[in-house]
Amino acid sequence: MTTTAGHPVREAATAQPAPGRPPRLRDRRLAVAFISPAMLLLLTMSVFPLLWALYLSFTDYSATGNAPASFVGFANYAEILTSPEVHQRALTTLVYVVGAVGLQTVLGFGIAYLISRRTHGRGLLTTLFLVPMMLSPVVVGLFWRFMLDAQFGVVNSFLVSLGLEPVEWLTRQRTAMLSLIVVDTWQWTPFIMLIALAGLTAVPKYLYEAASIDRASEWFRFRNITLPLVWPLLLIAVMFRAIEAFRLFDLVYILTNGGPGSSTETLSFHVYKVAFLGFNTGTASAYGILMVLVVIVLAQLYLRYLNKLKEG
Amino acid sequence: MRYAEQVPRRSRSGRKMGAAAAATLIAMTMAACSGGGGGGGGDDEAGGAAAPSTIPELTEDPLTLSFIWFEWPPAQALEDFANAEYSKERPNVTVEVNTVPNANWHDAMFTQFAARQTDFDIAVLDSQHIGEAVTNGNILDLTDFIDENIDVDAYDPYLLAAYGQYPQAETGQRDEDASLYGLPLLGDTWTMIYRKDLIGDEPPATWDEMISVARQCQEDNPGVSGLAFHQANGSDAAAVTYNTVNGVYGGELWDSDERQIEGIINDEAGQKSMDVLVNEMKPLTATGSGNWFIDEVNAAVAQGKACIAFNWIAPIGGLLDPEQSTLGDTREEILDKLGFATLPTQDTDLVPLGGMGMHVSAYAPEDRQAEALNFMRWFQQPEIQKKWAEAGGVPARTDALNSPEFLDAAPYNQVFTDSVPRMRDMWNVPEYAQLIDIENTSVNAALNGVKGPEEALDDIATEQQDVLDSSGGGL
Repeated sequence: MTTTAGHPVREAATAQPAPGRPPRLRDRRLAVAFISPAMLLLLTMSVFPLLWALYLSFTDYSATGNAPASFVGFANYAEILTSPEVHQRALTTLVYVVGAVGLQTVLGFGIAYLISRRTHGRGLLTTLFLVPMMLSPVVVGLFWRFMLDAQFGVVNSFLVSLGLEPVEWLTRQRTAMLSLIVVDTWQWTPFIMLIALAGLTAVPKYLYEAASIDRASEWFRFRNITLPLVWPLLLIAVMFRAIEAFRLFDLVYILTNGGPGSSTETLSFHVYKVAFLGFNTGTASAYGILMVLVVIVLAQLYLRYLNKLKEG
Repeated sequence: MRYAEQVPRRSRSGRKMGAAAAATLIAMTMAACSGGGGGGGGDDEAGGAAAPSTIPELTEDPLTLSFIWFEWPPAQALEDFANAEYSKERPNVTVEVNTVPNANWHDAMFTQFAARQTDFDIAVLDSQHIGEAVTNGNILDLTDFIDENIDVDAYDPYLLAAYGQYPQAETGQRDEDASLYGLPLLGDTWTMIYRKDLIGDEPPATWDEMISVARQCQEDNPGVSGLAFHQANGSDAAAVTYNTVNGVYGGELWDSDERQIEGIINDEAGQKSMDVLVNEMKPLTATGSGNWFIDEVNAAVAQGKACIAFNWIAPIGGLLDPEQSTLGDTREEILDKLGFATLPTQDTDLVPLGGMGMHVSAYAPEDRQAEALNFMRWFQQPEIQKKWAEAGGVPARTDALNSPEFLDAAPYNQVFTDSVPRMRDMWNVPEYAQLIDIENTSVNAALNGVKGPEEALDDIATEQQDVLDSSGGGL
């Protein structure tokens, strides 16, 4: 029964401590000691706030008020789910996510494809393309705000120098949303590019060589070799970006403040207003929990699709 | 057998980890509850603790007295002034004015109030923030302190009430039975800034005339817009613009006794005001000015791009700086082109009340609360108010407002003195932040073509009424 053949791993894990190690520091205790700080951090910074927000979401609690929290059941959830204001913000967020992530995917993959075909200067080009991604979104928002200013901005100066009419980038409904999408695309296309580039680099060269021997066209090689092999990795990048874009706050806050009117108010921006203008903490907590649930459900569906793709 | 023996050991270890995690969560929950959050909720200082009528003994140890304000020229002026002058009386005290961007000002103060812990001792609140702070017990009740230490007769009653009284006073009055929670720090109102070289030395007297003059000026001077004013949807920018026009055309924002907005802000006078703003004033502004606030209006004036502009008085000092202006190489040259006047009248002569008061954080340590009270007493002395005026501040005492120190300090200071009897404030209620956001959003939408003027005004009325009826709850 003490044979090691059946359970080699367990045997290794339960081996006696090396000579000289204090008997108290057995492997398991060491493991617990190492894990504890991370566990504590996770509990205090993630699990507890999430559970606390979940509790508050069923109350009418206000963080600045003096009244104790009262249990209101699902009233906050019902109010949010039936609110036309929330529906409008959800639509705005959807337009933004689809527009920004779609554009970033096309551009990111295109740039990665072009870079992957270069033999010289690939590293330098990749590094240069990555610069926007390394900047703070607040900094990006501020300098784009100056550049897009209708009166003093460099973008309109350029347009006027070409004989075109200046554009009200941030104060018209359609151009304000377009500006958000463009700025987010400028910053985050490199992320998609980087992942696509990793996928493109990993495609075995012998497949292209075999295709060349068969005199396959460029388009045929792209459609039947490159794209199918890079596609799963690209979809993961799209998922990351979609989750990020779904909770967009900083660029909206800096560039348009949700305007003109409320036409670029995303769900996250609306949660901020509920939480910090009215200090309706209970409602804001329910709003946040619902957003987390939406992300989890959509991500799960997406991952299932990815798994199916992998199995296929 | 060894493996069999390991199972309970691993399980015990796992249980220990689980128990430890659960204990941690329970401990944090209890801490959160006892800290006044969540279910704990209650607060002994609900409604605001009272400051003592006499200033407690002050410490002689080094002490930093912290303010919180937003980033604009008067904040730096206050810090410089206080460190130069207050240190003569209290050499152990350093005054620090911490600033945040204007858009974060309310959040920065009230998130700290929510935590029942502030890194500032004196909050510089907009007059409309007082209701929220008082209701939540965030600032000290200064009534007894003011009775004992401040000569209230030295002030215009409405100025004193606007920056300290809660519940809110009627326009132009002060309720002497009401409590005071603050004292004036900086008075302010809108001034009309006009180009003397383009429209003449005499400013337009009525609002209709002002629009007409601005239109003519725009037509005569290509590249120069007729008007420049606040239109942004952040802070209180677009809302103050609408409220100003509303007041001038005889409109009302609400019935404060009945807490009624619907049917009042969007009555005939309200609709007329919105129509004037959107259909007559907006076309005279620069392309893309739909997100302009204080700085952008200043920039337009300084670059000679506007015939007539409206801005708060406190942050316009830079307009006379040749380094920041294209209107002249010297202050005198600039003043040859720029004039400053009180707002034109129409059906009424109302002007918006701006400025802020000083309020003592209920969560500041006792020694710093005592120092804050001493600073406020010191600041309200007549000679100090005059020195504050010389340093670029806008005082509130009537004697300081009429003193040569104030009136000669800047060409636009007379505008403030003349405007004091004409001032009207917005709503000073706990739901203010939501009310102003609703109005900002819809006025900005109307100014930028997202909504029609009538629709925008009706939306404001409906949404603001909902907020008042639900006492600010919900979305």
